[in-house]
Amino acid sequence: MDNANASIAAAPLPTGQTLRRRKNLLFQLWRFAAINVRMLTMITKGSH
Amino acid sequence: MARVVVLGAGISGHTAALHLRRMLGKGDQVVVVSPNSKWNWIPSNIWVGVGKMTSDQVTFPLAPIYRRKGIEFHQALATALYPEGSSDVASPHVAITYTDPARVNESATLSYDYLINATGPKLNFAATPGLGPDGHTLSVCTAQHATETAARLAAVIERMRNGERQRLVIGVGHGTCTCEGAAFEYTFNVEHELRAAGVREMADVTYFTNEYELGDFGVGGMVFAQRGFETTSKMWTESLFRERGVHAVLQAHVEMIEPGVIHYEQLDGTKSTLEFDFAMLLPPFRGADLQAFDATGQEVSSEVFAPSGFMKVDANYAATPYEEWRAEDWPSTYESARFANVFGVGIAFAPPHQISRPRTSPNGTVITPAPPRTGMPSGVMGKTVALTIADRIKSGESVAPHKASMATMGAACVASAGVGLRNGSAAAMTMYPVVPDFQRYPETGRSLKDTFGEIGLAGHWIKYMLHLVFIYKAKARPLWFMIPE
Repeated sequence: MDNANASIAAAPLPTGQTLRRRKNLLFQLWRFAAINVRMLTMITKGSH
Repeated sequence: MARVVVLGAGISGHTAALHLRRMLGKGDQVVVVSPNSKWNWIPSNIWVGVGKMTSDQVTFPLAPIYRRKGIEFHQALATALYPEGSSDVASPHVAITYTDPARVNESATLSYDYLINATGPKLNFAATPGLGPDGHTLSVCTAQHATETAARLAAVIERMRNGERQRLVIGVGHGTCTCEGAAFEYTFNVEHELRAAGVREMADVTYFTNEYELGDFGVGGMVFAQRGFETTSKMWTESLFRERGVHAVLQAHVEMIEPGVIHYEQLDGTKSTLEFDFAMLLPPFRGADLQAFDATGQEVSSEVFAPSGFMKVDANYAATPYEEWRAEDWPSTYESARFANVFGVGIAFAPPHQISRPRTSPNGTVITPAPPRTGMPSGVMGKTVALTIADRIKSGESVAPHKASMATMGAACVASAGVGLRNGSAAAMTMYPVVPDFQRYPETGRSLKDTFGEIGLAGHWIKYMLHLVFIYKAKARPLWFMIPE
């Protein structure tokens, strides 16, 4: 038997602020731009 | 004049065909053979599976695109390769059987100068008795499967509305499955839909996987640098499971499925059962049913293909223990191990070994995810091989091949956790490289700068943007080639 559910029960929960930030339109617009830049940077590092 | 035949029109094959057509002259021929009449943006099948998209939104007919681009298309299944020709046809050729309704079961041969095997996976539901739409579980591997699954999910939700508690199990249906990320996505999309339908408290949702721990995703897990600390995809994933109230069964190999019951074994050798009212379990993959023959008609399939049916390419296939695995084991040119003018890309190439640490139960059952090589890496491989072939057609066969190893390429994975432009969510992840390189990155095997994960609404927007952009690209609309793979 694995101990997955005990491990899940001990995992940290996001704070209320984190949950609100994950839905906040302005903050997420910023993250949308930032994640896209980060992904493009990572893609260009590949050998192709 | 050269003729390139591409077997398969998925992400890898379609990408290769479009780039070849763009790069080669009008006198050169690009031929695509695919048993399917439609292209499918498979990552969005997740949304078809919860009824948020229709099959038509994630597929489109291939023939009009190929007609417009000047690519010859045969809706057919490749059955045998003759890379040295045969007594009937002197040139290298491939035997096909049409699935096109107008020519169904008709056979033909197609000669080639270069061949790309991008046949993708055979969905091996048969590996587990009772698995799959013809058995007792559901799938989202094809748009049609996903449509059927959405209808079954709607029925389950209706039962919950009528006060009936339901057990939903989502995951993988064999100890050697890959695509755990897709199972993860479907789990959280279903959970999101249950909440939207107001029936979440009536459902027990269980994620069922062959991963050793949550967050493995078949790539051995990831380490992120966040707020000055190193954190793991395990902790990050477990947090999401706790937040959303999803249970998990890990380290599991499904032995058999009976109506409403999964029989499974775990790494410690224990055997258990899990009852369900709704189960979406992805199948293991194997290579397409292709044979290969030499000039004398002798079958050489075992030299061209691994026992899994995937094509052997320029990888190191020597059996070595996990501790001796190296980034250099992974192929970079995708040239066939036996024939220089044949390439295997996308899921069709045989990986040298897993990425996750291999594990076996005391009963000898292998319970380890197979390495994922879908999506972005598949597209990159398709383009890389197209570049090599175009160079060789233009400048001669001695031109060095282009290279793109999964040990030197990154990948972006956006795992949807619920649909909605205002209330959607996704886990956006990147990793670099896909295959850990502990010589180059001794601490975690990957660049901490380029490996990260973040949950939020922005991830959903990115996933939806990728849906639109990659369908645009696959339709070869203006400047499609500017969009990176």
